[in-house]
Amino acid sequence: MTDPQQLSFEVAQRELDEIVGRLERGDVPIDDAIGLWQRGEELYRRCAELLDAAEGRIEELARADPGDEAG
Amino acid sequence: MTKVEATRYGDRMVYTVSGFNRGVAQWLRRLPELWLEGEITELRRNEAWASCFVTLKDPQTGATVPVTISRRRLDALGLDLADGERVHVQGRAELYEARGELAFRATTIERFGLGEHLAALERLKRALAAEGLFAAERKRQLPRFPRAVGLLTGVDAAARGDIVTAISTRFPPARLVVAETRVQGPSAPLAIVSSLHALASHPAVDVVIVSRGGGSFDDLLPFSDERVVRAVASCPVPVVSAVGHEQDTPLCDLAADVRASTPTAAARLVVPDLDELTAGLARSREHLGRAVRRIAERDRERIERTSDQLRAAPRLMLERRRSVLTASGGRLRALSPQGTLERGYAIVRAQGRVVRSATAVSPGAQLEVRLADGSLAARVEEVFE
Repeated sequence: MTDPQQLSFEVAQRELDEIVGRLERGDVPIDDAIGLWQRGEELYRRCAELLDAAEGRIEELARADPGDEAG
Repeated sequence: MTKVEATRYGDRMVYTVSGFNRGVAQWLRRLPELWLEGEITELRRNEAWASCFVTLKDPQTGATVPVTISRRRLDALGLDLADGERVHVQGRAELYEARGELAFRATTIERFGLGEHLAALERLKRALAAEGLFAAERKRQLPRFPRAVGLLTGVDAAARGDIVTAISTRFPPARLVVAETRVQGPSAPLAIVSSLHALASHPAVDVVIVSRGGGSFDDLLPFSDERVVRAVASCPVPVVSAVGHEQDTPLCDLAADVRASTPTAAARLVVPDLDELTAGLARSREHLGRAVRRIAERDRERIERTSDQLRAAPRLMLERRRSVLTASGGRLRALSPQGTLERGYAIVRAQGRVVRSATAVSPGAQLEVRLADGSLAARVEEVFE
């Protein structure tokens, strides 16, 4: 399984949802359930970190104006 | 038409330059009067000149043709033509013989008016629709988590500000790449196409918003230019068009993957809501914990039930064994002679052997009669068969 620290928000969140789904369906033996829960917690932490850390950024593209060239 | 003379040199027929030019000029004069459509560029007019000159440009390809028109006619038209204006020109092809140069000798020039614009737009719309450029199947899904949002906006603080604010409010961590572009005037379509390419080529841009400057017919016109529409339709990343509004649907709206009528609507389409994301995450975590606890509970209950059953088991087993024994005992008793004797039967023996038949003994024989609780000594009195 991929280290949560490598996952994008989208992928981590999707996996977290899958784990919650499996656990809620309940067809998991208790040992596996604990393992899944741990994985779920790691994924949650990864997602939360990504949201907290991200800063908005605005980048300007240099304007190449054909109008100027045509004169 | 006068025949142009050629000189023979051996096998070859050779023309003079003048002769050639004259011949071509004559050929051109056979072409009828035509109407041309193009953009005015390099308009040159001088009081001292009898003719005025225009380079008429094909906006699609950039091809040009020199146009001449008598100054008197031009002035009579009363147009104040500006560079880049779209016009219709009526006239004929002409060769300026002295230089061998092609020109279009115009008799009249008309501005491409609103009616013509609308009609041309309609034709273009039908043609592009027929090509399938506006088909629903071509529309793509927008990415849920774009790495960066490209924004094509006019050189106008207000228009750009609205969308940037809407996006940053909804999702503060959003990364924006902004291409300020000339979106008005004759050079707008090419500028828009160029910006669109630049944004789509940016490595992190996963979706592009195209927004307008003003909302007037002229302001929207560049966004219905065929080059712009085709660029939007063939853009490698999904395009949200925030150009049109209630009264007007420029063609790029139809070619885009999604239309947004307001800056807020555009923001909603391209970025997730940070608050909702955070709340959703918290909920997931809660469900995670609850679900695991439920499984643990269920497991504990099962273990308790099992251990209850285990504790009850030896007792149950003994009970079962006992009842089996009782049953067996009953059957055993039923089969043994003791039971039969108890029911009233007797075992009769004579000289030690069991007597089964009345004919086996004769009167006077000594018998031993065994009953359930004892025995009798008896003698046969009479035999009845």
